[in-house]
Amino acid sequence: MSLYEIHNMAVTIAGNRLVEDVSLIVEAGQCTAIIGASGSGKSLTCLSPFGLTPAEVAGSMILDGLDLAGADAAQISDVRRRLTGFIFQQPLTALTPHLTVGAQLQEATTQAGAARPSRRELVRQLERVGLSRADERLDQFPHRLSGGERQRVMIAAAIAHDPKLLVADEPTSALDASLRAEIMTLLDQLRAEQGLGLLLVSHDLASVEGHADQLVVMERGRVVESGCASKLIASPGEDYTARLIAATPRLQEPAPALSRPGEPLLETRDLGVAFDRPGWRRGKIKALADASIMVRQCESLAIVGGSGSGKSTLGRAIAGIGPVTAGEILWQGTPLPERRQRSLDMRRLIQPVFQDPVASLDPQWQVQDIVTEPLCNLRSDLTGAERNEMARQSLSAVDLPEEFLARIPASLSGGQAQRVAIARAIIAAPQLLVLDEATSELDPLVGAEILKLLARLQGENGLSLLFITHDIAAARRLCHRIAVMEEGRIVETGEMQDVIDHPRHPVTQKLIAVS
Amino acid sequence: MLKGHFPLFLVLVIVLLALLLPLLLPWDYEQIDWDAVRAPAFSGSHIFGTDEIGRDRLARLAAGTRITLMVAIAAALVSLIVGIAWGATAGWIGGRVDEAMMRIVDGLYALPFMFIVILLMVVFGRSILLVFVGIGLVEWLTMARVVRGQVMALKQRPFILAAEAAGTPSTAIMLRHILPNIAGVALAYLMLTVPQVVMVESFLSFLGLGVQEPLTSLGILVKEGADDMDMTPLGLALPGGLLVMILVCLTIEGERLRDRYS
Repeated sequence: MSLYEIHNMAVTIAGNRLVEDVSLIVEAGQCTAIIGASGSGKSLTCLSPFGLTPAEVAGSMILDGLDLAGADAAQISDVRRRLTGFIFQQPLTALTPHLTVGAQLQEATTQAGAARPSRRELVRQLERVGLSRADERLDQFPHRLSGGERQRVMIAAAIAHDPKLLVADEPTSALDASLRAEIMTLLDQLRAEQGLGLLLVSHDLASVEGHADQLVVMERGRVVESGCASKLIASPGEDYTARLIAATPRLQEPAPALSRPGEPLLETRDLGVAFDRPGWRRGKIKALADASIMVRQCESLAIVGGSGSGKSTLGRAIAGIGPVTAGEILWQGTPLPERRQRSLDMRRLIQPVFQDPVASLDPQWQVQDIVTEPLCNLRSDLTGAERNEMARQSLSAVDLPEEFLARIPASLSGGQAQRVAIARAIIAAPQLLVLDEATSELDPLVGAEILKLLARLQGENGLSLLFITHDIAAARRLCHRIAVMEEGRIVETGEMQDVIDHPRHPVTQKLIAVS
Repeated sequence: MLKGHFPLFLVLVIVLLALLLPLLLPWDYEQIDWDAVRAPAFSGSHIFGTDEIGRDRLARLAAGTRITLMVAIAAALVSLIVGIAWGATAGWIGGRVDEAMMRIVDGLYALPFMFIVILLMVVFGRSILLVFVGIGLVEWLTMARVVRGQVMALKQRPFILAAEAAGTPSTAIMLRHILPNIAGVALAYLMLTVPQVVMVESFLSFLGLGVQEPLTSLGILVKEGADDMDMTPLGLALPGGLLVMILVCLTIEGERLRDRYS
């Protein structure tokens, strides 16, 4: 008998049936992954049986011989205490900020009724999840730890009471690619050592591939397909699964056909950005140092690096929306001035697109006003009617129907909002787009479409693209060349395929190994 | 629309009555009925009776509510304008300017406000305009802090950066992107400022420093009622009850709005 079995489960919130007819199995020591786009009901599926959502659950959910469907609140609470551990997406918000790591681990251990653990026991728990200098960490507060370290502490707390089932809701989505691989490897290791069953939820097929034994693909609250992970990926039975697999960028896939680059367009020479320390403290924080890159006409350059590597700072400096403290930016050989000194003509040439599509649109404005905003300033020679005509053209260039002009951002999905943001960026006919993680917050299917759209726009309009990302496989689908960054410096540049085949710098080698 | 907003509904009824009653009642708020000094409730045309010099209680109650609410709304608007201007400037410019401007706010917070308002009254004499301005200048500090925080959070949002990249000038970003997005929060704090100002105004009038006779306000009516409490408790209970009702209702609605926007 399996550790955890769900049969024909349905989840209802306030009369709306959000998940229907879901069945899955988690074996001890194995990993079952639920994959699906946002809103497909995957989190509800894994959290609702344990009373962690306001939903009503029907069906049968048998954990270790106990049917959770018939259990009352006290029994479910007891199951949560003894049998299960939970890991959530946001490692900072999931840890209590005012308690030290040691205090939180102690709470996690004793809540199942165990005796108060000794300090040595707590150290052992932290070492089990691969944290170095564990003794010192016990006295630290969560904000002193990096994102990856916090996630390790979360895992240590989740397994402190030796549960049989670990439920992980997007455990690696907030982490960059190399941390992602480390955390997944840690979870594999814990499964093998402790015989833990793992129920994993992710929107990203790439991050569970090679780790999950069973795969459950969900769409709109229903299971599309489920089965052995490696078989499913090799030969998907359903169209949706096939599209999901095709949308997930892989380094092994054939090289894409890209446009032919022209003359050099933009160049930076020893660009540096330093920020004042906050408050009245002295000294500077160097976010970027000696960054020299070059982008040709009709070319895409990928800037790849982990979080905090300075890649966004570089992008913002080039787009004229962030400070520059050293070096210069050349546009076809002539220097571009700093942020506020740029003339409107110069601004027209470079436009940014941001990571969070919803936050990049003013929530109070209509799509029409959002898209035409650059025209009002950069092309003041146009009449209102001409502007509206251009807004229509711009929307059709990003494959959105005309009706969207009257919509407000709150009524757009992530992918639609990102299309509107791109429509705004291209409306004034720029020559360079700075794309700051423009696809990383989107579901894989939507992200893949945005990548296609960008490649098409490049072919049609001869746009140059600066594609800032942590995902080297996604960058490969679009970019001719790559610059790898770490700690504010560019450590390696070259042709995309060359760098992937023969990475020289250890940072690049690591990035490629985990992709 | 008013479903579930009983407190707001109650306040609107009070405002409507305060505005319409003078048209319906046969008595003016300063008119003395020599035949009915200290008349009890429901005697003749005086529904709530008359006070110790024969003025109709209901008419005075309506007049007092009008003045109190007028002062409160005007002073809250002054605080709204000053608070938004100050807070938005500090938050938008940031850095040392922000530090300096917010230290001024901190300094003003530390001053005993009631004392300063009283001083203003003493120096410039009592006028209703001064009550507006004095209270408004006192109440803007919280608004400035709230607005500054909102502006600083908004400033980092990508749509503001996109507007800058689109060449939108700073003033236009402020007027067209930032102000509309802080309007909700500002409105919520405006709703919370009104009852505070009602309190301050009533307190000043109770001390005899606010509105001047024969004009009246709820504070003056409470004071008159308190002086005459042992003879006619109604004189204190009516304006006191009304004052409490207005304060509680506005605070409930204001906190609801605040919870919704923050």
